[in-house]
Amino acid sequence: MIRKIAPLALAILALAGPAFAHAVAEGDKGYIQEVTGVNLIPFVYLGAKHMVTGYDHILFLFGVIFFLYRLKHIGIYVSLFALGHSTTLLLGVYFNIGINSYLIDAIIGLSVVYKALDNVGAFQRWFGFQPNTRAATLIFGFFHGLGLSTKIIEYDISPDGLVPNLLAFNVGVEIGQLSALAAILIVMGFWRRTESFWRHAYTANVVVMAAGFVLIGYQLTGWIVS
Amino acid sequence: MFNSDLPTRADLPTSAQLRRSTRNAALAAGVILITVVLPAEYGIDPTRIGRLLGLTEMGQIKQQLAAEAMADSEAQTATLDTPPQVSEPAAPAAQIDADLLATQVEAAVAAALAARTQAPAVASPDVATALPEASPGRSDELVITLAPGEGAEVKLVMAAGAVASFSWTVDGGVANYDMHADGGGESITYERGRGVPGQEGTLEAAFEGNHGWFWRNRGEQPVTIILRTEGDYTELKRLV
Repeated sequence: MIRKIAPLALAILALAGPAFAHAVAEGDKGYIQEVTGVNLIPFVYLGAKHMVTGYDHILFLFGVIFFLYRLKHIGIYVSLFALGHSTTLLLGVYFNIGINSYLIDAIIGLSVVYKALDNVGAFQRWFGFQPNTRAATLIFGFFHGLGLSTKIIEYDISPDGLVPNLLAFNVGVEIGQLSALAAILIVMGFWRRTESFWRHAYTANVVVMAAGFVLIGYQLTGWIVS
Repeated sequence: MFNSDLPTRADLPTSAQLRRSTRNAALAAGVILITVVLPAEYGIDPTRIGRLLGLTEMGQIKQQLAAEAMADSEAQTATLDTPPQVSEPAAPAAQIDADLLATQVEAAVAAALAARTQAPAVASPDVATALPEASPGRSDELVITLAPGEGAEVKLVMAAGAVASFSWTVDGGVANYDMHADGGGESITYERGRGVPGQEGTLEAAFEGNHGWFWRNRGEQPVTIILRTEGDYTELKRLV
């Protein structure tokens, strides 16, 4: 975000000459930079919004629940994912561990590719065994959390009220995840009842894999040109 | 081919269940949209629930920042189109700013707007007494009243390497500030802070241009900023 805005701001400044210009962030970031102190519900909202509008997290979640039919199983996997990303989100921001956002987002793209390959049975076919799907969900959850923490660090939250606001943001992330999941499950529910689900399930995972590759390429290119 | 077994028919939700879920999802989405998303994004809060949750304030701040950014770019475009007006770029900017705000944040900040219109009157006599004398050293005191949500920008015109000492205090509360400079296509942020009662120190100009502060009152009450500057600058001007 910062990297994208800065050149633009510089370009505007170069055109404008002596006019006033403090580089103002707008939107969510602008709001975060204006407020201090504990703002629990606004940060819950921002966490939920980040998750619901974050297509990379949603794609991974979609892959994870693609072949889960029972609510119990969905609950286990989603909890593992939540445990993973909450851990690294909180620790990452608290200890200010900022990883290059392009690289972490490229790894998140890789998690999408991995899950799609897993779903089409590629690991069983290629390597003759099924890697533990729960462990994979937890481990990739750690990386998704690092992606979240890197973005929060870029938001430059006020130190005043940081921990309560951060916890609120994390609660929001979980609420957003459950809302997105509910929507995905309804659509999947309709789809799974049709015969075409089984004909198209393979193709759908290949499409998800392609999207994951695009994410990787997009982020790595961003890393090179930045 | 796949990494799991086929589900039995019983594992899948029934059609009636799915239809019910869809309807519930749509209803929930409608409620969330009206009570949460519209207040938090646009400051539109027909049910007043967003205000209780503290989300309407977020929407109003976002709208205000967007309006100011637009006014800023319009003012800069106007400056480019009509070079003779360069000497007073701030006045149209402030006007556009106030108009946009008035339409967008409306009644919610009516009280703030009322106070806002008084603010320049309070500040202008001080500015008037502080107009250019190209002496190498000078000192000024400027008093600015900021209504809740209002911002102000004051700049010192300095040569590269020139030094000025400054102090400012916030009477009646705290303010956010951004101490920065621009000029000749360059810009720099010296220091930023949120919710502070004041700041003092020495400003050394990194390049030739305008060096100073942008303040914003994010509190609930009006505050007064008292700025004192002394040193090697040719002009003190209020831009916003």
